[in-house]
Amino acid sequence: MTTPEMIQLIVIDGIMAAITAIGFAISSNPSRKAILVSAFLAALGHGFRFFLIKSGMEISISTFIVASCIGLLSLLFARIIHCPAEVFSFPSLLPMIPGLFAYRTILSLIKFMQSTDKIKNQGFIMDFFHNGMTTLFILLALVVGVSLPVLLFPKLSFSVTRRY
Amino acid sequence: MTPNPDNNFPSIEQTVDLLSDIACELMSSGAHTMRILQNVSRMAESFGYRLDLSVFQLSIMMTITSKDDPTKRLTLNKKTKHLLINYTFVSDLSALSWDTYDKHLNYDEVKLRFHEIISQKRISRWLILILVSFANASFCGLFKGDIYAIGLVFVATLAGFFVRQEMLIRHVNHLVTYTSSAFIAGLIAGMGYVFHWGNTPEIALASCVLYHTPGVPLINSVLDIIEGHILTGIARLVNASSLIVCTAIGLFTAMLLLGLDKL
Repeated sequence: MTTPEMIQLIVIDGIMAAITAIGFAISSNPSRKAILVSAFLAALGHGFRFFLIKSGMEISISTFIVASCIGLLSLLFARIIHCPAEVFSFPSLLPMIPGLFAYRTILSLIKFMQSTDKIKNQGFIMDFFHNGMTTLFILLALVVGVSLPVLLFPKLSFSVTRRY
Repeated sequence: MTPNPDNNFPSIEQTVDLLSDIACELMSSGAHTMRILQNVSRMAESFGYRLDLSVFQLSIMMTITSKDDPTKRLTLNKKTKHLLINYTFVSDLSALSWDTYDKHLNYDEVKLRFHEIISQKRISRWLILILVSFANASFCGLFKGDIYAIGLVFVATLAGFFVRQEMLIRHVNHLVTYTSSAFIAGLIAGMGYVFHWGNTPEIALASCVLYHTPGVPLINSVLDIIEGHILTGIARLVNASSLIVCTAIGLFTAMLLLGLDKL
């Protein structure tokens, strides 16, 4: 793949991630500034993860890296707009939720339930565990990665709404 | 019980009433336990009291003790309201607690500002409905779904989210709400399979229920567990996982009903 094509793909990816983040941010009723910040962070994060995966990194590790970057950046933005960091850190992670893997987990469960062929059933069980584990690890990477900054800088993350 | 002339040191009853209201409001708008504890203790400190707080899923319990006279203390147990995530309240109440601490606001002023904050209106539900539908449709785009799949997901989310809003307004059990909303969204998104629209009908099915992801309870539970409030954290985790399981059951039922065994 040539570089301009890659950049175009990353930009489209980022825009779609931003739309997703706006939609999910707004259902938790944050302030207007926070919605914009979460759209920006989502575009940045998802574009970055797209790049990492394309350059050959494992999906859950790249998710963890991106989630902790988003966590740190959202602490920075929280300090700027005086708003708790978790207000926009979660919506900006939402585009990375492993929906497709979760769906495949359910699908292999249904197939396992409906089939009576022993050989095929072994394949379905493998699919179930592979997809289920991937879903679980991506979810863990997301939540642990994003709460890392709160863990590392507790004082700072509780005083972002302070102004004097 | 007689309030001070300048009301800078309110009576213990007044303080516990206001602080328990604030803690309940924070709990039901989706703040994590550490934030509730810190905000409320900060305000108690500025009124001249010491505060101990236990937070449970359905109730909070607080004891405040006067700093000058440790025999003067009061415990209050209060039921929290039903969870309705509202981050404007969380950030405004958090800012109010710092203002109380830094500027030594008096009791009346804090009470006035608290009521101003909680009377703010939410964003219109119709706007949320439209934006969530667009969000879920672009989710489908992120998973490389084609234009048919994106359209289907948009319609499915519109219907499913509308049903969820209506059922939540009517106070139906939230597990039932999530299951039936996921079921309806799954049925609509499954139409791509039935009528052979586009090349990626499985992506439509996969992304049609993602608007149910209980993000805020999930992240709050992890934060609570990390910070040592294990009990509350586990309660929130169980809550979030039961919502995920119910969503999966709804989708599962829809898929079984459509008979998509060749998926």
